[in-house]
Amino acid sequence: MTDTKTHTSNASGSPEGRVFKPATEQERAEAIELAFDYRGDVTIGLASGESIVGFLFNRHASGEHPSIEFFPEDNPSPRTIPYAVITSIAFTGEDTANGKSWEAWASKKESERRAEAARVEEDARMRGLL
Amino acid sequence: MAVPVSQMYTVASYVLSNKLKGIKRYPLVLMLEPLFRCNLACAGCGKIQYPDHVLDKRLTPEQCWAAAEECGAPIVAIPGGEPLIHPEIGRIVEGLVAQKRYLYVCTNAILMERKLKEFKPSKYLTFSVHMDGLKKEHDLAVCRDGVYEVAVKAIKEALKLGHRVTTNTTLFDDANPDRVRQFFDEMMSLGVEGMMISPGYSYHKAPDQQHFLKKAKTKELFSRILSRPKGSWKFNQSPLFLDFLMGKKEYQCTPWGNPTFNVFGWQKPCYLLQEGYTKTFRELLETTEWHNYGTSANEKCAECMVHCGYEASAVSDTFGTVSGFARTAKLTLIPTSR
Repeated sequence: MTDTKTHTSNASGSPEGRVFKPATEQERAEAIELAFDYRGDVTIGLASGESIVGFLFNRHASGEHPSIEFFPEDNPSPRTIPYAVITSIAFTGEDTANGKSWEAWASKKESERRAEAARVEEDARMRGLL
Repeated sequence: MAVPVSQMYTVASYVLSNKLKGIKRYPLVLMLEPLFRCNLACAGCGKIQYPDHVLDKRLTPEQCWAAAEECGAPIVAIPGGEPLIHPEIGRIVEGLVAQKRYLYVCTNAILMERKLKEFKPSKYLTFSVHMDGLKKEHDLAVCRDGVYEVAVKAIKEALKLGHRVTTNTTLFDDANPDRVRQFFDEMMSLGVEGMMISPGYSYHKAPDQQHFLKKAKTKELFSRILSRPKGSWKFNQSPLFLDFLMGKKEYQCTPWGNPTFNVFGWQKPCYLLQEGYTKTFRELLETTEWHNYGTSANEKCAECMVHCGYEASAVSDTFGTVSGFARTAKLTLIPTSR
């Protein structure tokens, strides 16, 4: 798959920061599959020149007209986009599932863990969830 | 008995009716996720890793009621995220109770005491409080000190107001059987109706990949926990599922038994795996390639023994075989005979 590596891929294997400009239908399908499995926002480039940022939550790869379903970050309604008009996929948002392993948690000093727990708690408090 | 007779009757007649009609795949428990936002960030949870704008999305009460109608399952579990964060959770619950669904609101109980006034006690409504062990184990599992005590206080208050309350517990490979047995004593002493237990599932997206149980270890652990059960312990789940956890029964997964609906749609194929979404429940049933999932069919399923895949299998065994029915009856009437 074509990967322009505009951003440096991180060591964890997460595609965060990578940009794909597929040259074939198969490469496009692979990039979409990667984006479907990604727990962060992506930026989709369209043939029209439009660029949209959001979360790719579903794809229909088979059938006559394959398409993705996408929650734009600035619009509550999902958008359906045909595979055929997608020219690039950039993994621009933070991979929210990355870098939070139990080992990493356990290996932290007690003070670091307490600080992280306090950050999560403070975030919940700021959002009015406690 | 941990499950009220009226609920047992509803489930029994529903399952038997489907079996008599020759329906092979039918839902038993709708897993309704009205939001993914939580006020905790537990190390073993694979449900909350999304961008903020996704975490801020909510199902409306109307969407929740329609999903329950469309699915038709007699039981609805509302996990999340933390459902009590949802600003319209009271209305959602009220509408589902009006549909006469047996409803389990799965909560970490942080907001429960404050929110109890939004709910009217009903035989259809149960608060299923997330408790992963005694204080030390629970606070470690949820990565925050003091949550155990908050939950215990909320459980007591809910019971005082006449609500049905159960606990739900996920056990990891570092669980100490003796401590878990003490925990069961502690929960029953609070006066809860029953307890639910399950091994964890190694979510691809969960931060804690090291601590999930492998199958042999699961059976060994649950055998040590559940052998010689105390008469005071009550479990709000199928006795045959507990047999399964102990390695006394072998089941195939029935992922359609606990279908999942959330802000993305109907989730393929189950509560734990995310292989895609459909717009309708019928489409979920008809287009999911069910033969691709299950213990021997998919490596993602190979080590899974989680209740959302196997509890429905156990219930099907109860009403589908004479031996299953006899064993269930025996364990229900004499729980210490295990």
